[in-house]
Amino acid sequence: MAKMTEEKTGARGGAQAKSKKKKTPRQPMPEQDPRRRRHNFEEVPQGYSEETAILEAGRCLQCKKAGCIQGCPVNIHIPGFIGLIAEGRFVEALLKLKEQNALPAVCGRVCPQESQCEALCILGKKGEPVAIGRLERFAADYAREHGGVPDPEQAPATGKKIAVIGAGPAGITVAGELARWGHDVVIFEALHLAGGVLMYGIPQFRLPKEIVQYEISSLQKLGVEIRTDYIIGKTQTVDQLLEEDFDAVFIGTGAGLPVFLGIPGENAIGVFSANEFLTRVNLMKAYDFPKYATSPIRPRQVITVGGGNVAMDSARTSLRLGAGSTIVYRRSRSEMPARAEEIHHAEEEGVEFHLLTNPVRILTDEKNHVTGMECLKMELGEPDASGRRRPIPVEGSNFIIPADTVIISIGNQPNPLVPQTSPEIEVTRKGTIITDPETMMSSKPGVFAGGDIVSGAATVISAMGQGKKAARAIHRYLMGEDPPEANPETPDNDTQED
Amino acid sequence: MGTISLTIDGQGVEVQEGKTILQASREAGIVIPTICDHKDLNPYGACRMCVVEIEGVRGFPTSCTTPASDGMVVKTQSAELTTLRNRTLELMLSGHPNSCLVCVHREACEKYRPGATKAGRATRCGFCSNREECSLREMALRAGENELGLPTLYSAHNVERSDPFMDRDYNLCILCGRCWRICEKIHGKPAISIINRGKWARLGTAFHKSHVFSGCTFCGSCIDICPTGTLTDRFARWYGKPDDRNLSACTLCAEGCSLFALTKSRRLVATRMTSFQWEASLCALGRFALAQIVNAPERLIRPAVQEGEDQIPCDWDTALELAASELPRFTESLAIVVSESTTREDRFLYARLAERLGASLIVVPSSRNGVEKELQGFTADLEKGRFRAVISGGDFLSAELLKGLNFSVVIDCLPSSGARGAKVVLPAAVLSEVEGTWRNVSGEVKELPAVSLPPGQARPEWQIICQLAQKMGLEGFEFKSAREVTSLVGSDPAPRPFDGEPRRGLRQLPSRFRGHLAADWVRPLEAFGMPSTPLEEMTESSKEGFEILERREVVPNMYFIKIMAPQVAKFAKPGQFVILMARETSERSPFTLVDWNGAEGTISLIIEEVGRSSRELISLPVGARVAHVSGPLGMPLPMEKKGTVVLGGGCYGIGAIYPIARGLREAGNHVIVVIEASSSYLLFMEDELKTVSDELIIATKDGSRGTRGGVQEVFVNLVQRGVDVAMFVAVGCTFMMRMAAEATKPLGIPTLVALNPIMVDGTGMCGACRVSIEGRTRFACVDGPFFDAHGVDWDELFSRRSAYSREEIEAMPQMVDLNALIHPHGSGGGCGSSCSHR
Repeated sequence: MAKMTEEKTGARGGAQAKSKKKKTPRQPMPEQDPRRRRHNFEEVPQGYSEETAILEAGRCLQCKKAGCIQGCPVNIHIPGFIGLIAEGRFVEALLKLKEQNALPAVCGRVCPQESQCEALCILGKKGEPVAIGRLERFAADYAREHGGVPDPEQAPATGKKIAVIGAGPAGITVAGELARWGHDVVIFEALHLAGGVLMYGIPQFRLPKEIVQYEISSLQKLGVEIRTDYIIGKTQTVDQLLEEDFDAVFIGTGAGLPVFLGIPGENAIGVFSANEFLTRVNLMKAYDFPKYATSPIRPRQVITVGGGNVAMDSARTSLRLGAGSTIVYRRSRSEMPARAEEIHHAEEEGVEFHLLTNPVRILTDEKNHVTGMECLKMELGEPDASGRRRPIPVEGSNFIIPADTVIISIGNQPNPLVPQTSPEIEVTRKGTIITDPETMMSSKPGVFAGGDIVSGAATVISAMGQGKKAARAIHRYLMGEDPPEANPETPDNDTQED
Repeated sequence: MGTISLTIDGQGVEVQEGKTILQASREAGIVIPTICDHKDLNPYGACRMCVVEIEGVRGFPTSCTTPASDGMVVKTQSAELTTLRNRTLELMLSGHPNSCLVCVHREACEKYRPGATKAGRATRCGFCSNREECSLREMALRAGENELGLPTLYSAHNVERSDPFMDRDYNLCILCGRCWRICEKIHGKPAISIINRGKWARLGTAFHKSHVFSGCTFCGSCIDICPTGTLTDRFARWYGKPDDRNLSACTLCAEGCSLFALTKSRRLVATRMTSFQWEASLCALGRFALAQIVNAPERLIRPAVQEGEDQIPCDWDTALELAASELPRFTESLAIVVSESTTREDRFLYARLAERLGASLIVVPSSRNGVEKELQGFTADLEKGRFRAVISGGDFLSAELLKGLNFSVVIDCLPSSGARGAKVVLPAAVLSEVEGTWRNVSGEVKELPAVSLPPGQARPEWQIICQLAQKMGLEGFEFKSAREVTSLVGSDPAPRPFDGEPRRGLRQLPSRFRGHLAADWVRPLEAFGMPSTPLEEMTESSKEGFEILERREVVPNMYFIKIMAPQVAKFAKPGQFVILMARETSERSPFTLVDWNGAEGTISLIIEEVGRSSRELISLPVGARVAHVSGPLGMPLPMEKKGTVVLGGGCYGIGAIYPIARGLREAGNHVIVVIEASSSYLLFMEDELKTVSDELIIATKDGSRGTRGGVQEVFVNLVQRGVDVAMFVAVGCTFMMRMAAEATKPLGIPTLVALNPIMVDGTGMCGACRVSIEGRTRFACVDGPFFDAHGVDWDELFSRRSAYSREEIEAMPQMVDLNALIHPHGSGGGCGSSCSHR
């Protein structure tokens, strides 16, 4: 196995690819037929073959000033890993990825590449950008399936102990980095399985849970201890962690508090937060009822309110539970915050879209079961604070969509459990933790935070980006020096709302 | 034999000689109450409810055992008889949980809880799956007495669940003897009988053997004739009383026994024999497996066609069109393989299709060895290349064989390797879902009504064939219903006899249905030695998790469990709860903390067995590990000094108020603890509660101890007595808390209740537990569990708690622990032995 760093693949890879690059189109990824997949929980995109991956990697121009790197919240050396794939050095490509990204198999699947790295790809100016996400996924899957991932190098033990609260994307990233730098890391997770939104939120057909568990187990191989069923803020507070035996604390508790619409009928039987709906199906595996004991939801006609990735996940999960599925979103399609691919997949599978439509109330029968939803048509007005055009109701346009299930997927607020019990940690009016943007340290010394608990509901990769930043800052805070493989800081990339 | 005349209640009655007084009365339309009597049983005289007065006869003879004689003058109603019967009823009820029958809140409670709670032991009607059909309850309610002069003697037998298909709760048994008498009547040698003597007497098998080894054939007659909830059908019991019953027949083997199909909301919940005689009896498959096959969660529900390596679900038209365009190409090289369990109409149409296409029809019998034998020749032909296409009505051909063919259509109800490899898969409605007729081995033609709805898009086979044939342009398939086909069937051959007698022995049951191994879909059949495909083992790590240090059933259904959970123990506060998962496959269920010891790292809980999750937890022995314990959760109740506080606890709440009482007393309050239970034998933790309260008051619904009624009655008494109550805290079932809230509201006393909605994560993440408090939505897991009782929207809470009642019933385990069967339960035993009393 070649060493993981130092090779300069740029020139070589570029030269080699030059002859083909103009002819090769962006390689599509094989997908499960939508007519079949809308009835099952198997993964939708099936990944590149070795040949396709090499072909696609060959399209990369190996830019010296690679724009894609700037587009990546964790600054993966994209041309580097793609060059290695082009040469067929797949495992090395993964190691290159792992220098910056603890979870390439996950990010390759769930990142909004079209608005990040791929948006800045030079090829995209005239044609289609390099499929960076698909290549990232390929490298990670290849190495995992072929068992060729060497254990990462670990610095000698520093004797410092760090508590990471929340085993989601931010927490996993922080823990991975700190463990590699020789620190003793314990992750506290409230649920019974580590992974956070990767386990309870993102469905199996988009991110197989086996992949998440594989990533978690590689974290454990680094010596990270994961204490599940441990609720910081209830079981123990941050202050107690610091008093007892931790030198620093990272809070990555995410945005897990569901927001409801506040319309009449919302507490009827058949109305779910997207969190509950997805948790029942993903984390509790209710789709495998009665083997798994959690009561399944058996919808016939589902309305999902919202236009983000979570709404798409809910609508597509509804199809897989055998229901008809409709999205109700108050703006138009171009304002939808979901990844383009998710909207596309949802449409392909047969999800109906009621755009420019806003719920007014949920209708129920005498037993308090949902029978439908009354909606109002909207039209777009002037842009609002988010820069998106503001939806304005069209008077008298009320109409009813019949349904027995309504899923509310209009966002989540930060989880209040930790800040509630640690008054020294300052929070914004919205409940997000206030941190120094450079160091991710909160108002309480030694307590860092990152991910959705800081930024409000956002993406997996932005949480990981903040996690990386926080990890470096924690190392500096504890050791007074930069971590062994510190990378130059880049400005924080704000990503779209999820 | 001649007729005789006698006078009953002043009415002249003429009956055949040899009839009993009870029979004579019935013929005259005079009702005499009775329990042990049954029209299909010989008189027994056990219950003594049917006593009458006869002129010139001393005492009160039982009318069921006394022959009517000419000139007899009988009185069935008198003050003395009523007293006597009520005494008898009281005696019976003293050995049968009765608190609901005498409870002053019964009607309100049943309004809020229309279905029975899926408890382990039935300690009251509200916990009994037989509530809607119980003869004893009906009689007691008719008698109108809600005072009991005798104490309740709960016998505390363990619920017997180790046998397949049956749950037996002998605590409900009144020894009417119907079960063993019907067993003896039908089978000659009864598999069960009254064992032990005196107060230890109960029903059982010889030497406490499992029913599987006792000669029992699992005909289910004992269950069907039991007037109480003692013997129940495990699969059907919690669905409640069926709302329809239709005469039908079992088509699982050539015998074709008649049966009643019992349905609820057009879902088949059970099948049972049409009358209590050997001739009408059923085998274990017909009685227990049929409904479970029909309800198998794995049923095929949508058509699919093969594209490349993939099978793509599609609509009926697409699937039928593909089949219709391909099949005519094959004619003589097409084989149609059909199970004999299909209706005559289906087979007639299959035959017509075969004839029109020039194809071969192979009808496979349901017999044990039939499938293989019958198919030997066919398989050989297949291998020789005689056939190039096949329509298969079951799991008859392996995927390998199908692969070698040019085209294949599977019309079936359950998945199989063959179906996965087929070019077209069409989901079929089967058994109780299909209308038609069926000829059995003795030539009788039986009617099969369609009484339950097929799952998903499944259709009856006659319809599938007609549609397929019409798409192929064939004539003679223009039928609108199976009935239109019936008259055309004519003299079809009877099925070939089955090579066994399923009704005579568990080892003689047909092992296949449409080629599928029946035990693959109805796992308890494995207990009878039926072949099955091994299940994937769920690997559970035993080292991880939280060790159970103590476990005991403090009172029926209530388990005290002490678990090693240091992180919870260290930080727990009064009023908080934990979420437990017994296994990795369990639900996340909340339980209130009863006690904890930070130094030892232990927590204690009271878990009431009321469904699958709690049953999984209480089934873990000491030393085993609970997969997950997370907590402490919820907002603790502030331990402030208020003055006099009253704490009310019912059911699990008796345990839940213990730490609250302790905390509030330590905070300097005068603490009055009120606990309620249905009956005195269900009270627990009294000694512990005494140590943390200034006064302990007891209430029972049946008045067997303390105040008769619930905590609300005690509370109102206290206030009337002039006790100045600063705060009332009620913890118990939703009904109890609501009653408490209603009692304290007019008094204007601040009242807190610990709400118990359905939860998933318990950390505020999902909102499943949302409750409306004064019109505002709150999450019980993070904002609660304690809320102002007077602001709670109780109706919403009741409705949200019932959201999954159907799924909760379906989740109840049906599997049988085969190891428990190998070793007959109980040790020693035999007549007169008291060791069965545990």
